[in-house]
Amino acid sequence: MPATISKKRVTAIADAARVPLKPDAAARIARAIAGPVNRIAAANIALDMEVEPATFVAIQRKDAAQ
Amino acid sequence: MSDPSELTLKDLAAAIRRRKVSSVEATRALLARTKKWQRKLNAFARLEPEAALKAARAADRALANGKVRGPLHGVPLAHKDMYYVQGKLAECGSKIRKGWIAPATATALTRLEAAGALRLGALNMVEFAFGPTGHNPHTGHVRNPWNPAHITGGSSSGSGSAVAARLVPAALGSDTGGSIRMPAHFCGVTGLKPTNGRVSRANAMPLSFTLDTVGPLARTAEDCALIMEAITGPDPLDPTTDGAPIWDAEATKRSPRGMTIGIPKSFYVDDLEADVDAALDGAIATFRKLGVRIVQVDLPDQTLVSAAALVVIAVEAATTHAPWLRKRAKDYSPQVRNRLANGLAYSAVEYLEALRWRGPALAAHLAAIGTCDAILAPAVRTVAPTIADTDVGGGPVADKVILGITRFMRPVNYLGLPSLVMPAGMSRLGLPIGLQLIGRPFRDETLIALGEAFQATTDHHVRAPTLS
Repeated sequence: MPATISKKRVTAIADAARVPLKPDAAARIARAIAGPVNRIAAANIALDMEVEPATFVAIQRKDAAQ
Repeated sequence: MSDPSELTLKDLAAAIRRRKVSSVEATRALLARTKKWQRKLNAFARLEPEAALKAARAADRALANGKVRGPLHGVPLAHKDMYYVQGKLAECGSKIRKGWIAPATATALTRLEAAGALRLGALNMVEFAFGPTGHNPHTGHVRNPWNPAHITGGSSSGSGSAVAARLVPAALGSDTGGSIRMPAHFCGVTGLKPTNGRVSRANAMPLSFTLDTVGPLARTAEDCALIMEAITGPDPLDPTTDGAPIWDAEATKRSPRGMTIGIPKSFYVDDLEADVDAALDGAIATFRKLGVRIVQVDLPDQTLVSAAALVVIAVEAATTHAPWLRKRAKDYSPQVRNRLANGLAYSAVEYLEALRWRGPALAAHLAAIGTCDAILAPAVRTVAPTIADTDVGGGPVADKVILGITRFMRPVNYLGLPSLVMPAGMSRLGLPIGLQLIGRPFRDETLIALGEAFQATTDHHVRAPTLS
């Protein structure tokens, strides 16, 4: 679980998206996303392999049909 | 005849239909009121008086010939400047889309027109709908009619301000992370964030394709229902609406007696301002008197749901804006550019895990609320802060301010649930307080029924700001 997000990681992913970052941006972004990333990592969510994004719609419609 | 600006959407539509007031008279009255207050409130991005009056004259002629186009015949409305009208400007509160002409018309607007409504113009909004306060350095900040020094909330800032100031009886907003509900709370109006899939998003500006929703702000829950009845339903241009239930007007008239409302034991009730806490207590008492059963509910960890929402919104917004982030980054305001850039730094696996978890998270939520028809919770833990206090640009304080204001919003977006915010009190500073009723998937009508019953026995929604 990453306790901090590195500037290197931020720069690498932004580079892969072909979006240039300002020199001071990586550190700010790393701080901004650390909260959600660490919160989700700490929960250690283990999903069945059959779960996909569209599972949401199936559950939504099932409740509505009841 | 009363001043048309004082009438609710339902009453104005009825007055026009019964020819107690003409569409031209209503349009002129609202245009005059807007002209008077626009400088102070900055709610409108553009007014189209000639086109509106032309449409109003056509509506009056049709009525004289016994033709009623629909339930909103001849009623003047205005909508957030992100709903496209073919051949007209849609600038989305931005510098980047300044001068942009829309190639097609939003399905929601086509449907409102089919119901007989006309448009006075377009309403200001936060740049690309990506901000919760109402600040906009490109178009100027929209002002809160209750106190122009305070924020309207965003991103549907113009919609909240215009409805509260009686410039229009109703307006469309959009809600991806609270953008209908926050302006409803801060401006003292009623707003419905519909179930995802209920209203077509076709030809409305996208922000987050998973979480975007289209919905109304109006003075009453009943008025929100009138708009919903016009705009809901399947649309081949937006496949997420496929198979969604059509609007059930009868269900909005159900008695609340015997319904169950859950009150969260934590998260939504933590660290509330005293006035917000009191408003929640008052609303619980009102619902009890209406015969609603009140129970305590233990919701799944909302901080986790909220974190997942942040990942989805951030990555999808960054993806939507990636072409401009590559070439025109300087043309964004600092706050919006920085928020968009945050979405570049999540990994593909983090994003897809957040998307995959959405279904199980909804299942866990539904299991926790049991047979509750709705959850009652504050919309925001405070009343509207000042524009100055929240004018944080793109600095390090910005994320903290934004997270604080949107705290009670994001879980609803991630879970795709409907939520109705309605006025439920006033603070000692004279600023409105809204509460949200969070419903079950596709049971938006139940929220309207509860809202109508609440508003039939309270007067919070009737209070209007004194403009001076």
